[in-house]
Formats: sequence, C-alpha cells, structure tokens
Amino acid sequence: MTVASQRLTASGVGSSSRPRRRLTAPGLPWILPALVLSVGLIYYCIAYTGYISTLNWDGASPDKISVGAQNYLNIARDPIFWRAIWHTVAFFVVTFVVQTVLGVVFAVIMHSRIRLAVLYKVVVFVPVVLAPAIMAPVFRQIFAADGQLNWLLAHVGLGFLAQPWIGQESTALPVIMVITIWQWTGLTFVLYYAAMSQIDQSLLEAARIDGAGNLRTLVSIIWPSLRGTTVALAILGAIGALKTFDVPWLVTIAGPNNATQFLGTYIYQMTIQLAHVGYGAALSIVLLVIALAMAIVLQLVGREDGGGRAGRAARRREREGR
Amino acid sequence: MRFPFRSKSVLRSLAVLAAAGLAVTGLAACSGGGASQGAAGSATKGTINWWGWTPTNTDEAKGFIAAFNKQYPDIKVNFKLVGISDYQAAMRPALASNNGPDVYDLQPGAYVQQFGSYAEDLTPVAKKALGSDWKSKIAKIAVDGLSSKGKLTALPIGSTFAGSLWYNADLFKKFDLQPPKTLDEWKQVCATFKANNVGCFAQGASQEGFDQDTLQAIANSVDPGFWTKASKGDEKWDSPQIVKTLSIWKELFTSGIMQEGALGAQQYPDVNNAFLTGKYAMVMMGSWYTQYATEAAMTQAISAAGVAGAKPFPILPMQFPDVAGKGNTSEMFGDADYGLAVASKSKNRAAAETFVTWMATSKDGQQQIADRLDTTPVLAGVAPNFDKIAFVDPSIQSGPVNDYLKGTASVDEPRFALLNADIENAFLAAAQSVASGSATPQKAAATLQQAADAAKAANG
Repeated sequence: MTVASQRLTASGVGSSSRPRRRLTAPGLPWILPALVLSVGLIYYCIAYTGYISTLNWDGASPDKISVGAQNYLNIARDPIFWRAIWHTVAFFVVTFVVQTVLGVVFAVIMHSRIRLAVLYKVVVFVPVVLAPAIMAPVFRQIFAADGQLNWLLAHVGLGFLAQPWIGQESTALPVIMVITIWQWTGLTFVLYYAAMSQIDQSLLEAARIDGAGNLRTLVSIIWPSLRGTTVALAILGAIGALKTFDVPWLVTIAGPNNATQFLGTYIYQMTIQLAHVGYGAALSIVLLVIALAMAIVLQLVGREDGGGRAGRAARRREREGR
Repeated sequence: MRFPFRSKSVLRSLAVLAAAGLAVTGLAACSGGGASQGAAGSATKGTINWWGWTPTNTDEAKGFIAAFNKQYPDIKVNFKLVGISDYQAAMRPALASNNGPDVYDLQPGAYVQQFGSYAEDLTPVAKKALGSDWKSKIAKIAVDGLSSKGKLTALPIGSTFAGSLWYNADLFKKFDLQPPKTLDEWKQVCATFKANNVGCFAQGASQEGFDQDTLQAIANSVDPGFWTKASKGDEKWDSPQIVKTLSIWKELFTSGIMQEGALGAQQYPDVNNAFLTGKYAMVMMGSWYTQYATEAAMTQAISAAGVAGAKPFPILPMQFPDVAGKGNTSEMFGDADYGLAVASKSKNRAAAETFVTWMATSKDGQQQIADRLDTTPVLAGVAPNFDKIAFVDPSIQSGPVNDYLKGTASVDEPRFALLNADIENAFLAAAQSVASGSATPQKAAATLQQAADAAKAANG
C-alpha cells in the first residue's frame, strides 16, 4: 500500500483529512437524479431485454412463452448470425486500417503548412456531418449497375471493370466499407490532427538532428505518439462496427442474400419485420456482451504499452527529472 | 459511504422517491398491453387519426376524406402516411400505446397476423352496413385475406392482383416487337432491346414481395395452382414443381432477361423510376400499376422520377409468359390490397367505424377508390368510370386495360393471405441464393420447406 493510500484510509478519523471528506461525501445525492435516470432507463431496459431474450414472443401477444436459453442456443446454430459476425470483423479490420492510414496521412499533410489547408480540412470533414439517410440514395445511384461509377469506368477505358456493385454478393460488402470509410475518415483525421499538435516539438527536432528523414520521423516518432488516439479510435471503430445499421440497411437492405448482414440489421429484421422479439432481444444481449468484451480488451491492450516508445521515453525523462 | 443528511428520514424519503421513480419508469415501460374498452364516442362527430402506408399519395387520401366529409362534415379525419418500410416499426409501439391511430391500414398475411389483435372485429359493422349476406356483396378474396381466427380484422377497401407484366408500348412499337408469350420469345425480345441499348425487363429483386410475385407467376406456368397448395401446406415446397420454378427463375438471370444488378435493386423507387423514365421496356407490376395508364398519374409519376418536362407514354398490361413451355396460362393471383382496421383502443370507435364503413361499403366511397385505378374496388357493382378517366393513348389502352381489370374478377388464388413473415423471408433467401448462384434450386427448395416446417411448428 502506498503512502498516499494510507493517508486516504486514515482520513476518516484525522482532522487533517477534512478537506478530502468534503470533496467526496455529497456524492450520492448529487448523482441521484442521474442514477435514477440511468438505472431507470438504461439498466432497466438492458435487464428487461435480458428477460425478453428468454421468451418466445412476438412483442404484442399476451402469450409470452418462456424458453429459457433456447434463443441463445439457436443463435449459436444460426448461420446468418455467424455471417453477420464475420462481416463485422472484416468490416472493422478494413475500415479501421484504411481510415487510420488515410487519417494519419491527411493529418501529416495538413501539418506541413500547405496552401488552402482550411479548405481541405472542411472537404475531408464534411462527410462526417452528412446523415447516412441522405447519402444512401446517392450511393445507391452511384453504385447501381447503370450508375455513375460504371459510367466513369467506361469513359476512362476501364469498362471491363464495371460491376453491379450492390447487386452481387462479392462486391456489396466492400461497397459498404467504402461508404463508411468515406464518411468517417474525416473524424479520424481531425483526431489525429489534434493529437499531432500535442507532440513535443523537441522530440521532432531531436529526431531531425539525429538525421531522421520524413518517413523515419513519421514511423518512429509521430506514429508511436499517437497510440492513445489510435486505441480510442479502435474502440470507437469496434463498437461502431458492432452497431452498424444505417448504411447497410439503407443501401443494400442487408443483402443481397445476407451479404451485408450485420448484427444491427439482423436484430432489426428479427425484431421488427419478423416479430421474433425474443430472438431479437437475445441477439441484442449477445451484441452488448461482445461490445463490452471488445471495449475491455482494446482498453487493456491500449494500457499495456500506453504511449509506446515515445511515451516510455517521456516517462523515463520524467523519472530522471524527479 | 457517508451522507450529508442530518436525519435518516430525509435520506429514506429520497430513497423512496427514487424507488418510486424507478417503479413508475418500469411500469410505464411495461404498460401498453390489454385493450381498454372505453366509450365508443359519437358516430357522426369527432376527430379520428388514420395511419397507413397507402394511399402513397397523400393528395389521394385527402380526396377520399373530402368526399367523405360531404356526407359527414363533423368527422375530421387526419391521414398520416407511414412508409411501408417503416410501417411495422411504427405501428407496434403506436398500437400498444394509448395514443395510437383510430384507423389503420392492414394487409393480408404478416400484417394481419402481427397487428390484427389490436383491431376490433368488424363483422357486426359489415352486417349492419350490407345486411346478413354482406359477404356476397364484397369480393370474397379480399375478405378472406383480412380475416383471422374468425375475426374480420379490417374492412377491405380494394383488391390488388399480381402475376402480370406491364410494358412500354412506344418502345415495343419502335422496335417492331410483340409482347413475348414464351421464354424463348422473351429472350429474343430482350436480345433485340439489348442490341439497341434499351433495358428489357426490370425487377427489384432485393425485396421479397416482388420476388414472390415472379416466383408464383412462374410456378403457375409450371403447374397451375401448385403454389397455392404449397402455401396451404397441402404440397411440399421442395417438390419438383418448385425446383423447376426456381430453375426458371435462375434462367431469367442467366439468359439476359432480368436486368443486371437486379439483386441490389428495389422495386420502389429504383425499378419504378427506371421504367417510367423509359430505360426498360417491361416491368413486373400488378393491377396497382393501372393508375399509370392514365395521363395525369403517368405525368405526375414521371415528374416524380426526376424527369423535367415529363412526357407520358402509353403502358399496357401483358400476361406473364408461359415460361415453363407447358401451354399453361399463368393466371394472376391477389387479395385485399389493404383494409381499414379500427383500433380497439380508440376512444372514437364509432366515428372511426363510420369512416371505415363509408370507404368500404358505400357506393360513393368505393367509386372514389375505383376512379383512382390504384386498387380495384371490392364492392359488387362498382367499376371505374372510364368516361372520366383520361388514358395516355385511349386508342390502344382502353381495350386492354378494361379487359385486364375484368379479368381480375375471376382470380381466386391468394397472393399474401396464406403466408406469414417467416415464409416470405424464406422466399427472399431462396430467390436470392439461387439467383446469385450460392445455392442450387434443389437446395433452396429444401431450405424453403425447412422454413415452412419451422414456421408451422412455431405458429401452430
């Protein structure tokens, strides 16, 4: 036990502990409204969903048949569920990697004092604020068999590459990934841009003095310093991938033949369209568990080596300075 | 943990308040079940809210309401258009709450099964309006589809029929072509259109309802009536007839009849817009498409499809080709397009019944329906007044469209009425997996039968 914690333990009796107690004691009443709200609306709903997940119920009938864990067993045997999981994993890996690369590259370029930087920032960020519901019809048109992408390919002599992009299983998921990357790279860029602004200039200068070129500086100094941002983006990306609904639903209706089926779209289909509310609730609980597990794992991975080499160097300097 | 309260009673009071808050929240979330049977209100006065996915044109609904108000000026009807893709999501909580619609649209099949329990039985209303032999005065096929477990969940407003195609008469004339009657002729017609850079046939194969229409039409060519028997459970979905049906369906994709990218296309708006803008010569649509034979509706629809200075063209109905080559005429099939249900929770049930009764059983109401050509009136003796309806080209359209509508009177095979949401979803999976090549017709038919068995076991 550290000295600091010993002081905290002793604070309950010593007069010297009064300031600390004043800070912590009023906790419950202050958080009570939020507690009621969160327990009442969020945790209650999660618990209620957990209860529904043990039922065979259409959401309307007064007859709720208890089936225990049968819905969960059915999920384990459901090939569409496993397809949705696979799509989620592939979607996360591809979109995260591409967005990260593009985000870092854009951020580095913007930090290099180019002309019209503000305009470029706006152009890159604008897709983030556009609602998918508005953009979905546009992308349906662009990627249609007689859409603008194929028209463009034909006019630049690449007509042999023309495909019914959203009308075949092999290309539908990549289209969803492209749309998502287009939409969210702006956010990745902005976060990396801000994180790069926090990098200690002396580190970069030291690297230059040591003879590091642009690429070497990017790989060995800048990238390790962005680890915290990357981990945060990975967590957001993973949870976002698990929650993916709007783009695949609005662009491909989770098809063709479930080629763009995700957990979110499957839950919607099961619960709303097919009225298998119990099964949909079980899928929701599975989604919650996976999201929590993924967030915890990514958080642990992020903490394991928090700050990377640059971070370790900074901590070493701190210790030496002390 | 220590609290800054001098008295424990204050703390307890807060705890009780918090618990009460939680309980109220919980109870509010749990409430909604059970219909409250309050007073029915006045039959000639009040305000009622009507929710529906159709009429898709709100002006059409306003026209119905205006005509209704000439007879019942003190009943105010508010129509709320809820898109069909959002209908299930919107209606479930609305009907479970105490603030849902008084009147709502219902369609045979999944909707009746899912939302029929929130509707009052309209059998007494129909008897009162049309007498004890009311069933003989309304199209039987429409009544059957809206009945569930002996309860008439909604009064049918109109019938709709599928299994037909519509074609662009101008394009056929331009290339000197005749509507195909066999699969081979269909292929040849499509080859000609393709050679002239015109799309041949379009369908939104990403949606189950329209895939189901084409599959049922093919099945009626393979073995008339077999589809209906399988829907009733009297035949198996993995029978050779269905395997053959799925094989022909696959051939539509591989022979160049079906448009490229059909599996990613939606019937509305993609295919509808493509046909109305002249990109395709044929489209899989049913009797609801009759409205676009008129100049006004066609002009409006083309304009809505994004064409400036819309120039209407004549469309004509055609029978689904004998794709199996067995000489079988592929008969149409249909049921109630939609019916109007009265919510059993409504506080204005009497006024709601007045409106629904007028729409479904009065000659004035049904004539309003008939003249729109959107859906076929269900009341015996009511037909579109063609003297008032202006076709795009009456010289070539009047005869075929009249014959087409008359032909629907003899249709006795249901479209959706015998199917539930699980089976319809299985049709989509089978159609898409066969078309994309990820399943053989045999395997898809076997999966279809498994889905039917599972649905039967689940639903009893």
